[in-house]
Amino acid sequence: MKPRSVRSREALLKLMATPVRRKYFETLRRMLGPAGLISIREEQFFLVLAIAIGVLAGFCVVLFRVAIATARIWLLGSSMRPSVPRVVLVPTLAGLVIAVLAVRFFPRVRGSGVNQTKGALYIYDGYISTETVVGKFVLSALAIGSGQSLGPEDPALQIGAGVASALGRWLKLSKERLRLVAPVGAAAGLAAAFNAPITAVLFVIEEVIGRWSAGILGAVVLSAISSVVVERWFMGDESLFRVPQYHLAHAGELIAYAVLGVVGGVASLVFVNAIKHLRPRLRRLPQWSQYLQPGVAGLLIGVIAIWYPQVMGAGYEWIDLAMHNRFPWEVLGIIAGLKLLSTVLSFTTGTPGGLFAPVLFMGAMLGGSVAMLEQQLFPSFGVPVGAYALVGMGALFAGILRAPMTSVFMVLEVSGNYSIILPVIICNTISYVISRGFQEVPLFDLLSRQDGLDLPSLEEEREQSILRVEDAMHPTMGRALLGDESIASARSISGSTPEEYFLVSLGEGRWSVLSRESLLDPANDENMPVRVLVRARVPRLHLDQSLDVALRFIKDRPMLPVVHRGNMDLLMGVVSVEDILRAYRKAGLAEPETAEVS
Amino acid sequence: MSEESANCTICRQPLGENGRCQHCDEDAHIWTIQDWRPLLNLSLIIVLGFSFTRLVVGIFHEKQNALGAQYYAAGLQTMEEKRPAQAVDAFETALVYSHDNAQYRLKLTDALVASGATGEAMAQLQAFREQRPQDAEVNLKIARLEAQRQQVDQALRYYQNAVDGVWPESGDPVQQRIAARFEAAEYLVGQGRQEQAEASLLALAGVLPLYSPEQRKLADLYLRNGDPARALSIYLTQLGVNKKDNAAIFGAAQASFAAGSYATALRYLEELKPETAESQALRLQLERMEALDPFAPSATGKIRTERTLAVFRIAIQRLAGCEVPFAQALANSAKTANAKDPEQWSGFAKWAEQLSPMMNERKLRGRDDVIESTMRFAFQAERAAQKNCGKLTLNDEALLLLARERMGASQ
Repeated sequence: MKPRSVRSREALLKLMATPVRRKYFETLRRMLGPAGLISIREEQFFLVLAIAIGVLAGFCVVLFRVAIATARIWLLGSSMRPSVPRVVLVPTLAGLVIAVLAVRFFPRVRGSGVNQTKGALYIYDGYISTETVVGKFVLSALAIGSGQSLGPEDPALQIGAGVASALGRWLKLSKERLRLVAPVGAAAGLAAAFNAPITAVLFVIEEVIGRWSAGILGAVVLSAISSVVVERWFMGDESLFRVPQYHLAHAGELIAYAVLGVVGGVASLVFVNAIKHLRPRLRRLPQWSQYLQPGVAGLLIGVIAIWYPQVMGAGYEWIDLAMHNRFPWEVLGIIAGLKLLSTVLSFTTGTPGGLFAPVLFMGAMLGGSVAMLEQQLFPSFGVPVGAYALVGMGALFAGILRAPMTSVFMVLEVSGNYSIILPVIICNTISYVISRGFQEVPLFDLLSRQDGLDLPSLEEEREQSILRVEDAMHPTMGRALLGDESIASARSISGSTPEEYFLVSLGEGRWSVLSRESLLDPANDENMPVRVLVRARVPRLHLDQSLDVALRFIKDRPMLPVVHRGNMDLLMGVVSVEDILRAYRKAGLAEPETAEVS
Repeated sequence: MSEESANCTICRQPLGENGRCQHCDEDAHIWTIQDWRPLLNLSLIIVLGFSFTRLVVGIFHEKQNALGAQYYAAGLQTMEEKRPAQAVDAFETALVYSHDNAQYRLKLTDALVASGATGEAMAQLQAFREQRPQDAEVNLKIARLEAQRQQVDQALRYYQNAVDGVWPESGDPVQQRIAARFEAAEYLVGQGRQEQAEASLLALAGVLPLYSPEQRKLADLYLRNGDPARALSIYLTQLGVNKKDNAAIFGAAQASFAAGSYATALRYLEELKPETAESQALRLQLERMEALDPFAPSATGKIRTERTLAVFRIAIQRLAGCEVPFAQALANSAKTANAKDPEQWSGFAKWAEQLSPMMNERKLRGRDDVIESTMRFAFQAERAAQKNCGKLTLNDEALLLLARERMGASQ
């Protein structure tokens, strides 16, 4: 019997036996071919892929949430207040298991996942191994489910990025696209975990990509939305907590929110500094201690949880209760403090899990505490506890994670109430400024530097002043040559300056550059217009454009014209490579912070 | 490579060796039909992923719902055992597993109220109301809490919302709405907001069927709101349907009594068989009133003087309870009396001294003017003493009621 491929070929030839059929097949081949009807370019395909990434990341995050909840029920029981033996033993034993698995089998899953995703983008060309994704899924679910004080959002971000990376490799995307696909998946993972697409997109831009990039924004938004659709399809469209309605009754309330901003800023500093100092010390301990650290952290958290079970896990159910006056102010304050301690313990010992949820938890408790205290001190104010808890979340988010835009939009998206924007902005700004003032390096940058990586951050980029064309340009010596004037006239002008190159205005905003050598070449007829000597046009620049743009345009050209935006034939000055370099030298960009690496 | 695929799709210039366009520096990789194969595989993965996730999530939700129901049942159980704090814990846990279950949340608020955490209950209910502003049950619960917190206007607003709101179809929405109206009206009556209560009762009368059992409740409320005439009319309508309706008979007696028609009230009470403790108390009161009334139609001359003497004695005792010093009053020392209005007490003392010589059977016989004056003295003394002079005896109460009948409520 003939092989299958031969039989197929023969069948095809038989089908194409007649000229009519051959023509038909030829047409079909053209339609399906590279420039045919159903062929698309990679950037278009990338958008379709973003949706697929969002859907798959959505599935993974839904399963991740199910895994965490199931682990919680299996390990700690279904009650909100587990029995004392469980509370003490489960996080301890689970911590030991997690440590063994993390050290032996999944070394890349430790930490929150944000920096790992960022590292994949900037160092590993978008590569996140499948093993890391699996490890992150299993160990994070086990850690959070067993009561470690960590949250599911950051791991979900890394899982999403990992799914996207695997998909990109499987589809053999170009290196450039493969690098971009990780943040697309990260946004999808975070959006599904937090049920908030705008927050996820902003966070990925602020913290992972580190800059606004129009090329990737569409894909990030598409993936975030599709993952949220999947998440809501399976888990319902209930928000994480029910937020009471809010309206600003009196402008004086803003002062009270400012107080919350100060409290949030101070708490952020305490938290970041605790991690900053404790993490490197724990990492310097002998290797064998790495097997014990998560277990010891689990034991300490378990002891705390005997009296305050609220510190275990992500704690969203407690946030909901705190928003509805469940606890008095002093209890809320104590819970916030203990949660801070528990989260520092869990995180610094390298237990896989995220910081998002604990940060929100601490913010909610602090906000609620401040609100209830103010209720007692100023009963006439009618302070809404839920609104304070919500604003408190934003304050700690801004102070600890240092993503100010995300923090504002997160509160708006979670509450669905835009009238809260003023207190949120005031409170977050104060918290951010305090945190920024006393702790120069943001938490995620600090962590990456402690890990020996130097990843870019938007906050640092914001600090660097942008150099513009006006900072580098110099005025022209004399006037530019006109395209229509005679070569003789141009030669007479050139005689009055020592310049080697001359700008030629060709009218209608078109410019070119002419060398002295070409202009003075005796072979050229003096009566001919200068235009005939011009070989190629040069791009024009404007005063407000960045020097980066100028540098890209200038290539090997001796100079570029800087023209008025309202009259593009009006020359404002010229820029050469030397001018640009001189401007960069003069600006002297800030060197990266090194003192923080300890 | 075909000619088409050798050119950049953007600028149509030839591509370089690395497949990139040298001119516009764009990656010109084109996805052809061959590249769609992985996409088809991807679609298959999505379908499989969807099915698997659906299966897992389905099992998970089942488990969650079962746990929610389990904790809800435990909460109900502990509520029955009067352990609201434990019930709160159970309902909160139930809500962790069934986050958006309205029934669980309402029960949680009940448990919170029972455990004294009204602030939290209110916060929970307000959050619930924001999600479902038309929910009548939620509004009713908020109204009750506001009533408990003495926020009368707020309570009334939420009662009204409850009446206008949407009731669950599982019960009878019409009946539930009527019950809410009754509760609101009862609250208004209790708060002494007579006009608002009257409006509310009139609205209620408009929606109640004429011969419904709730009519009696309505009449009771009219009675409590100081409108015995409307109450009596409803009771009479009830009696028109069933003459042996004891509750209606008693209601009619009460309404007549409240309207000051004591004889009519007594007549209704006589029709009542068997007597209840309440009706017996009312009858005794009426009989006591008759026993003190010298102008009752049944009273003959001798009885009339006896009753007058008794009334005078009761009034003097009442004033003595107020420490009105009759002897000192005569000695012009009334100002030392331990009463708030010395002149008033001095007047009563003088009046008593004037009547005192007439207070024997012989002198009273045929002296209706003195009897009339004695009764007026007794009525006014009782009324004055009512505000300042301690607990009333049954006889004092009877005299006050007689005063109301004779002198009207305003005097």
